[in-house]
Amino acid sequence: MLRATLKGMAARKARLILTSLAVVLGSAFIASALVLTASIRATVADLSGDAYRGADVLVQPLEPENRGDRLVRDGVTAETLAAIESSEDVAEVSTTVSWMVNALGEDGKIVGGFAPTLSVNWGDASVERELREGRAPETDREVAVSAQFVTESGLGLGDTVTAYALDTDETAYEIVGVYGYSGGRDSLSGATELAFTTPEAQRLVFGGEDAYTAVAVTAASGVSADDLLASLEPAVGDEAQAITRQAYVDDLNAESAEATKLIGYFLLGFGLIAVFVSVFLIANTFSIVIAGRLKEIAMMRAIGAGRGQITRSVLAEAGLLGAVASVVGAGIGVAAGAGLTSVVANGFLDTASTSVAIPWTAPLAAVAVGVGVTVLSALVPAVRASKTPPVEAMRAAAKADKPILGVTVTGLLVTLLGATGIVLGLNETFDGDNMNLMSAAVGAGVVFVGVALLTAWLSKPVVALLGAVWSWSFAGRLGRLNAARNPRRTAVTAAALMIGVTLVTATATLLTSVKESLAAQFESSIQAELFITGPVTSSVPATFDPELMDDVRAVDGVDTAVELYYDVAQVDGTEQSVNATTDLEGGIALFGGEVVEGTVENLAEGQTVVNESSADLLGAGLGDTVAMTFSRGTESREFTIVGILADNADTDGWYVDRSYATEFYTPKPTTALVDVADGADVEEVTADVEAVLADEPAVSVQNHEEYLAQVTVFFDYAIIAIQLLLALAMIVAVIGVVNTLVLSVLERTRELGMLRAMGMTRGQTTRMVTVESVTIALFGALLGVGTGLLLGWIVQQALAPSGIEEFAVPTALIAAYLGAAVLVGLLAAIAPAVRASKVDILGAISYE
Amino acid sequence: MSTASPVKTTAVSAEGVWKAYGTGEAQVVALRDVSVQFASGAFTAIMGPSGSGKSTLMHCLAGLDTTDRGTVHIGDTPVTGLNDKALTKLRRDKIGFIFQQFNLLPTLTAEENITLPAAIAGAKADPDWLKKIIHTLDLTDRLSHKPTELSGGQQQRVACARALATRPEVVFADEPTGNLDTRSGAEVLRFLRTSVDDFGQTIVMVTHDPGAAAYADRVVFLADGRIVEDMAEPTADKVIDKMKHFEELVAAAQEETA
Repeated sequence: MLRATLKGMAARKARLILTSLAVVLGSAFIASALVLTASIRATVADLSGDAYRGADVLVQPLEPENRGDRLVRDGVTAETLAAIESSEDVAEVSTTVSWMVNALGEDGKIVGGFAPTLSVNWGDASVERELREGRAPETDREVAVSAQFVTESGLGLGDTVTAYALDTDETAYEIVGVYGYSGGRDSLSGATELAFTTPEAQRLVFGGEDAYTAVAVTAASGVSADDLLASLEPAVGDEAQAITRQAYVDDLNAESAEATKLIGYFLLGFGLIAVFVSVFLIANTFSIVIAGRLKEIAMMRAIGAGRGQITRSVLAEAGLLGAVASVVGAGIGVAAGAGLTSVVANGFLDTASTSVAIPWTAPLAAVAVGVGVTVLSALVPAVRASKTPPVEAMRAAAKADKPILGVTVTGLLVTLLGATGIVLGLNETFDGDNMNLMSAAVGAGVVFVGVALLTAWLSKPVVALLGAVWSWSFAGRLGRLNAARNPRRTAVTAAALMIGVTLVTATATLLTSVKESLAAQFESSIQAELFITGPVTSSVPATFDPELMDDVRAVDGVDTAVELYYDVAQVDGTEQSVNATTDLEGGIALFGGEVVEGTVENLAEGQTVVNESSADLLGAGLGDTVAMTFSRGTESREFTIVGILADNADTDGWYVDRSYATEFYTPKPTTALVDVADGADVEEVTADVEAVLADEPAVSVQNHEEYLAQVTVFFDYAIIAIQLLLALAMIVAVIGVVNTLVLSVLERTRELGMLRAMGMTRGQTTRMVTVESVTIALFGALLGVGTGLLLGWIVQQALAPSGIEEFAVPTALIAAYLGAAVLVGLLAAIAPAVRASKVDILGAISYE
Repeated sequence: MSTASPVKTTAVSAEGVWKAYGTGEAQVVALRDVSVQFASGAFTAIMGPSGSGKSTLMHCLAGLDTTDRGTVHIGDTPVTGLNDKALTKLRRDKIGFIFQQFNLLPTLTAEENITLPAAIAGAKADPDWLKKIIHTLDLTDRLSHKPTELSGGQQQRVACARALATRPEVVFADEPTGNLDTRSGAEVLRFLRTSVDDFGQTIVMVTHDPGAAAYADRVVFLADGRIVEDMAEPTADKVIDKMKHFEELVAAAQEETA
């Protein structure tokens, strides 16, 4: 029996290769995901192995609870350093002074995007720096910069660079050196860096205090790291904390493992989608192959093959196919994963030296999934094949298709079930928002499966409708009819495309809706025309001189201008946003806020105003007292709530008098809102305000659109990222459509021969197949767009209470998806169409 | 109508046609120096045992296959030497086909199948003419049916109507009754006879059924790639009688060429 299977497979090579492509793709993705994740982890481990090389113990400042990175840092003090240095077990000590800094590039703008800009002390031992040009900084007005900084700032050796930290004024430095890092790197994970003398670094980070962000200690010979740690205990005391370097590196590796997990999940997700889609392809191919072999199977049955043998022979074929394809896929995947490692390492870790790790689980998982999926997909066709009665062998083949009633009824039921879940969830039937959201989300997933089952039923009317477009040409009409001919096959082929398109449409719709909702809220509530604010990506929060606000208010055409100070403070022991301003009433009005209770006029010392839900969170109300500790505050202060605001995303939080801003993390204002008087020329006013702020490089004057674009930039990136998913879905879909078309052309050889005998030209034949292909692809894409929009709408509705109130359709993207579907159809048609146009007429119409 | 002219012109002719398949030891000569003319408005049957070359002859005459030597003409048009494009156009405009297995497009209705050749050519069939043949074939109330909803005989009648719809110079029928029961077969043959008598159609039919051949005006017998007999006004008995002596005919023909 196996011999017969093998011979049969050899006779259908082309068909099998097409089918196996989907399996190859799926297992390649899985293998490459695993290899890439492991390799990045190994590469990062190599890099963190460089950190504090040679040191045995690290002494760092204490991490105060609940205050996170926003805190102004306490350092390891000079006294602690002296105590450490006096220990007999210590051979060598090196110090690090490192924190975020803002530096201005050649264009006068703050350097850097999402990666931070750091100030360090030259001589810091945390990483190995390699001087490439010039020398180390020797005076407080000299600086050496990383090669990455040179690239991003446009400045170079001999130029003057302006830099400042949160509490320091802008200072000009001469660039005297340019350096890289061990392994020829230009940066550490993309960050830009400026190295100062130790005193200057201390001035920037600690305001001149003789303190350090880390002290690296090397043990005297004969002293182990653990012994050193123990002996430093009294010197370090309660002011700082000490850990072994090994423990520090392990922490770093654990952190990077956490980060690389995301990349791994992303790739694994791609792999699983490819595998999921290939289930359809494989099941489809095996069904068709078996339909074409009915006579052969019946003959086998007639000469005594048992049902089990038939099933097993089909499954053996699937297993063999799955094994070969997934081994090939695993090989490609491992190679691709190794190759991608250097791409990722260059792009994200900025290192040319990579370590490739190939965990044995990678090829194993890829092969297991590949074989498993192929065999499972072939199970239904295999069982159906075994039910072939022996008399089929004697009958003329080609009967009507199996009815699709069963699948359709199941699909309808599943869709209804999912719809019920959605309706229940959206109507908030359950207690608890999470339950309702769950119900809607699960319902949406179930509807997705239901629609996939309904594709066969939907194919007739939709394909007929689509076909109306082609009906002007007779060949086109035949192609359209052919596409509708076998609803099952068309449906399964289209479903492969539908899945991908559904996912991307749903995500794009949701992201667009979120973006539009934010924009709409913004437009409807915010009264101010202009915003004075800095980029969200700057290392040190962008601030400006509050004295300038008087000049801004003096500008002709400015009605009101309100500056805001921002802090994350401890309010009754929880982290809360706290704002301070001189003109609370004006600010609330410009933000479109609404006072519910009490007053917001003339906040006095010890008084605060808060929005409803923030107050509820602490169980506080009008007249109650709360305790606040600000970022730089040394003591807790009591505040009485004198006013309550309605909830509004733009005004939520606590408000205190501006006099408290001195205790904020940023004692200078971060934002200001400007209301332009009616009838004044907004552009003119903008120019005048810009002139006032000419010496404040950190902030710029933005109008509504510019401000919104800055706030919502993340969504644009996310939307681009998910388009990659689409590309993958398209590749698999092309394979699926080619597969179906080639099989259809084979099955219709006689029909094609007859048409050619009757005078159909090759061109017409090609057109006929192309139309069939494009119709199937468009059908899948339309279904996907429809389902995706529905899913996106459901999730948007479920999130409406959280403020996502607008439903926005990404029209341009959807048009692009449909365009891509047409392209898929055209590409997939090439080979089958050529094959159809070259059908040997005589062979096709002759019979034995 | 011009087709009623008593002067019989030649619709199809073959002159010294040779055709062989394969090479060397495996070479099979299907046609050996065949020359034959088919008159306009006549119904000719080609008969012969399996492997006699009757199907090959038809394929060569219809421009479906190329000849190794010799020439073929459809009317005044030389078929030999035409490229694929010209052959396609020739088949589309001048030839009708009826195959053994009905070869209707399952996606189209009976009416759409009948007008298929016109649609392929991007032309419109003459409605009066269509009405006439559809009426003759008794298909009027079957026009909107799909092939799967028709009986075998009905399907073959649709195929007949399709072959005649463009008024081709010649209709080639390859075992048109091979898949039909006796009654349905007789209906199809009667129609072919009628289309010759009433519409002046030229028909060349390949068959191995003496009963079918009896409907023709003339029977050409093929054996071993040669024409061995040309019988006018055949009857079933005459044809059966001839076939009984087939081996002698073949031997005589071989001696003749030897």
